[in-house]
Amino acid sequence: MTPMTDPDKPEPEAAELVRPYVITKGRSLPDDEQFSLITLVTATLDDRQRPNRLSPEEQNLLTMCTGGYLSVAEIAGHTRLPLGVVKILLASLVEGGYILTRPPVARAVLADREILQEVLDGLRAKFG
Amino acid sequence: MTQYIQDPALWAFLVGTPAAAAVAVRQRRAARSARREVDEVRNHYTELENRYSESVRKAQEQAEEETKSALKSAMRTLQGLAGEQQLIISKLQSKYGESLVLQDLLEIDHMNSQFGRRAQSIAVLCQGWVGRHRDVASVYDVVRSAQGRIRHFQRVEILSQVDFGITSRAVEPVALALAELLDNATSYSSPDTIVEINVRTVPKGICIVVDDAGVGMNDEERARAERLLSSERASGVSGLGNPPQFGFAVIGVLCERFGFTVSVDSSSPYGGVRAVLLLPDELLTSMPERKEPAPAAVGAVPTSAPTGPETSLNPSMTSDGLPKRRRKRPMILVQNDTTATPAAPKRSDEDTAAIMAAFQRGTRSGRTTDPRTMGQLSNTRDASEGHEIP
Repeated sequence: MTPMTDPDKPEPEAAELVRPYVITKGRSLPDDEQFSLITLVTATLDDRQRPNRLSPEEQNLLTMCTGGYLSVAEIAGHTRLPLGVVKILLASLVEGGYILTRPPVARAVLADREILQEVLDGLRAKFG
Repeated sequence: MTQYIQDPALWAFLVGTPAAAAVAVRQRRAARSARREVDEVRNHYTELENRYSESVRKAQEQAEEETKSALKSAMRTLQGLAGEQQLIISKLQSKYGESLVLQDLLEIDHMNSQFGRRAQSIAVLCQGWVGRHRDVASVYDVVRSAQGRIRHFQRVEILSQVDFGITSRAVEPVALALAELLDNATSYSSPDTIVEINVRTVPKGICIVVDDAGVGMNDEERARAERLLSSERASGVSGLGNPPQFGFAVIGVLCERFGFTVSVDSSSPYGGVRAVLLLPDELLTSMPERKEPAPAAVGAVPTSAPTGPETSLNPSMTSDGLPKRRRKRPMILVQNDTTATPAAPKRSDEDTAAIMAAFQRGTRSGRTTDPRTMGQLSNTRDASEGHEIP
């Protein structure tokens, strides 16, 4: 009848003290269109003009995007927060006017393989 | 004289007096012994009564002890399960951080935290396990942790902060006690009101003040709360009322065990209850360094170096003896001029892997985009392909 667990074995590490839903203040995910992985983000304000009321995570995000553009994916990689949580925080920072987003650079349209082939064939036919 | 001798009354008197005396004496003796007997019976009865109440008390104590130990071990199991589940949920949250499932995972996480807290409260009442070891955490984070353990956490607003940390031993108990206060505050106030938290520095330590805009407590409730918060409360799980009210009983036990105090004797400016949790200096320490920023530091130095109460002599102090908050250096990863890029901080392998994976996923999803929508996109946007919009 004795339990099989060993009371002396080290306990597994506790999960984070502050849960992500508290960090996001229970807000829901922003639209996919607003933030993709490669949306670029930059802080609008200088470091010193930053309001005190932001949470440490939001402050941290602002610090990260100060002085240049960072992609959402990169920011998420640095914060160790789930990507969606980062998106929610970024969305609220955009709402507050603390950051600006820039849509990702448009992808180059791949040239049509058939046309290239035709051109190649034409060149071959003409020049040998 | 003879006339007297012949008087039957005299004879009756002569005979009657001793007889009466004898009767009186005997009766008095009987009365005395009866009284003695009554006393004996009474003594015996009191003794019996004492013994009876003694054994009832013992039986009660024993039953209480047994209930406590049964509940304690049952709660230990539940607490362990809730903790494990929380770890799994955390993993899922980072695994599915990109998808819509995250929203549901956050909700499940919230439920799990509440469930864990309930088990924790009962365990504390039974002198059981408070919870897993925690590192030193900032007061703000402990408050937010407490906030996350109640249902209506969105109604709680933290209005002020202090730059103090809470010693690792006190993190869980303070979070739990505060969660019980917040639960009371949100449960006994209207759903459209806000519960305010203010943190203030006082000579003895810091105060965490919780104000609600509820109906407040009547005298009876206030008396009960004060009794439970003082040391003269009835310990244990009996006497919690029906339905059982755990809050103040749990807080009372935690205060006694960990050396902080909670008072609810003032009323809030909004008409409800003002609860004040006073954390003495012994439970405070300097701010822990944040683990999250500066990936360059990841894996280099353990960020939460042995910090304890003794770190009150930390070099990073102001002249007033207050811990100084380290200014975080801005992390400039994308420079406008390309010359500085080689100085970008080194990332740990996991971080690099995660970023590369995210990048790969991004490019893959970009490639698989429907060409028709791409066509629309390139029509709606003037930017020429492959060039940055200035």
